[in-house]
Amino acid sequence: MPHLIDCEIVMHQEIAPEHFRLVLRGPEIAREAKAGQFCMLEVQAGLYPFLRRPMCFERIFPDSFAIVYRVQGEGTRLIAKMRVGQTVNVQGPLGKPFPLRREFEHHVIVAGGIGVAPFPALAEALIRECGAVPEVIVAARTADQLVCEQDFRQMGCKVHLATDDGSAGYRGFASDLLRELGLQENSVVYCCGPMAMMKATHLVCEAAGALCLASLEAEMACGDGVCLGCVVEANVEVEAERMVRVCTDGPVFDTRLIQWESY
Amino acid sequence: MITVNLEITLGGLRMKNPVTVGSGTFAYGQEYDAYFDIAQLGAVTTKSLTLKPRAGNKTPRLVETPAGMLNAIGLQNVGIDVYLRDKLPYLREKRCTIIANIYGHSPDEYVELARRIEAEAGADAIEANLSCPNVHDARTARGCALVAQDPNRVAEYTRALREATGLPLFIKLSPNVTDIAEPCLAAQEAGADAVSLINTLLGMGINPETRRPILANIVGGLSGPAIRPVAVKLVWDAAKVLRIPIIGMGGITNAADALQFILAGATAVAVGSMSFRQPDTALSVIRGLEDYCRRHGVAQISELVGAMRV
Ligand SMILES: Cc1cc2nc3c(=O)[nH]c(=O)nc-3n(C[C@H](O)[C@H](O)[C@H](O)COP(=O)(O)OP(=O)(O)OC[C@H]3O[C@@H](n4cnc5c(N)ncnc54)[C@H](O)[C@@H]3O)c2cc1C
Ligand SMILES: Cc1cc2nc3c(=O)[nH]c(=O)nc-3n(C[C@H](O)[C@H](O)[C@H](O)COP(=O)(O)O)c2cc1C
Ligand code: FES
Repeated sequence: MPHLIDCEIVMHQEIAPEHFRLVLRGPEIAREAKAGQFCMLEVQAGLYPFLRRPMCFERIFPDSFAIVYRVQGEGTRLIAKMRVGQTVNVQGPLGKPFPLRREFEHHVIVAGGIGVAPFPALAEALIRECGAVPEVIVAARTADQLVCEQDFRQMGCKVHLATDDGSAGYRGFASDLLRELGLQENSVVYCCGPMAMMKATHLVCEAAGALCLASLEAEMACGDGVCLGCVVEANVEVEAERMVRVCTDGPVFDTRLIQWESY
Repeated sequence: MITVNLEITLGGLRMKNPVTVGSGTFAYGQEYDAYFDIAQLGAVTTKSLTLKPRAGNKTPRLVETPAGMLNAIGLQNVGIDVYLRDKLPYLREKRCTIIANIYGHSPDEYVELARRIEAEAGADAIEANLSCPNVHDARTARGCALVAQDPNRVAEYTRALREATGLPLFIKLSPNVTDIAEPCLAAQEAGADAVSLINTLLGMGINPETRRPILANIVGGLSGPAIRPVAVKLVWDAAKVLRIPIIGMGGITNAADALQFILAGATAVAVGSMSFRQPDTALSVIRGLEDYCRRHGVAQISELVGAMRV
């Protein structure tokens, strides 16, 4: 059941150029939140920007939770100005979490850019609930855009870096690195990033017979399944509907369910 | 302290307060019941229902705009069968007053929808959406693409519906007309019990970097606080010529906004896009109206309808 509560900012720091981590105290949300779910932040009390901004849970603590974000436009610029001690109205938790599939032996996280956001919480959950330490690919355009790398290392994950320009780690796309790492039928891949990157990851997984679970992104007005703005086309009908809602049917989907042609 | 009576009668529909929700901004009710008891609403208005389920338009369907949003959802809905089977029981169980919003491609389709709803007790009133801006090909559409833009067609559709149903019948009209009095009067003369004003304003956006339209449908409907002054003015214009009541909507965010519509001549109001930002907005509007009446010594909210001082 989602809550609508004012959360106090307990920490706010820049972790890379234009990238920030925000820790919010909100026990009702923190107690129910699961990796892969998200919340909607009210960026200010006025009416412009009008809509809330969706952000996933990067870390979930007993009474608080963290988000990491990249400054994109007006909404995230306003969030970046917020100070410790201020309160933010947050709606959440929303959406369905990553399923924790303990029957798989090999867990791989593939994160593109700010798409890394849901994965520290997922890695923690996999280690805690499944005893599975995931292998992690963190990819970005350039080395200075790589975030959360140390968090994964501290959890004991094997981390592979990839950058478009080769300024850190593998030079090229995360999906190509994933293919080189090798997948088997007992592999499960969790991915989040730009749609094109998730499509490429889906194709690599499909070829290897591995399960791919992606956290999709979409323009959202409500986050609650009401506005029907966030839909993507599915290959099958989910509750008799072909246009599935990223906010409530997802954001995490088995990539075989998604119609990838237009991406 | 005076007791305040928020009850109203809207074209034959009794409502415990004048607040409903905009079609398409509250789904089928259950979704927002997680945030407040939706039975407290004067009425729940459903998403536009069609005879067959509709998948809606391609994406992107939605973009934020200054103090509002543009949408081209294209009437994605579960269809009348699934509504009656899966959505209605929840609303009935909660004893909600229900306004079913319907959309068809011809008078016959509207008539069939209205008959089904009346026969299966699918609502307490019908709102016919004659003004959806998102179901036409924007590349070729011109002139009177919407039924609501042609008073003759408004009359034709309303008459057909009036003959088909005894339920309170509301006609939802478009702001994109030269003179709002014309479609309003056409609906009234053809037997409508109320008009709903306004549906979204036509709009579009272009991304200069890609030179492509922002919405896949190119054109969409503008809603939210940005359109409120336009909506209040149209309600006022309509109230000057109509005998039947008006459901006012467009950018309502709180009780003060709702009061603008009521003072301009609306008997009821609907909270639309603001529910996306704050799901319990409609409830705070109800509380705010009660508080206003108390502060101003108003015993019956209906005393305020059209009570702007000029
Ligand atoms: C379920 C979900 C979880 C998300 N989690 C995170 C997160 O943890 N960290 C993070 O940095 N970002 C996340 N995003 C994306 C984030 O919501 C957008 O970057 C943000 O809304 C942009 O707002 P803005 O006002 O700064 O930019 P705007 O001025 O609104 O837009 C700037 C750019 O961002 C794009 N954009 C706007 N809204 C969205 C959106 N809802 N989804 C994708 N792109 C958008 C626009 O198309 C535009 O190109 C998430 C999105 C979704 C749907
Ligand atoms: C996402 C969205 C979907 C809508 N869908 C419908 C619909 O299916 N039928 C309809 O009659 N009006 C629809 N509307 C119009 C609203 O009911 C309302 O008339 C309009 O948005 C103005 O009110 P607002 O500014 O408070 O949102 C929709 C509006 C939005 C924003
Ligand atoms: S964001 Fe509104 S339905 Fe998904």
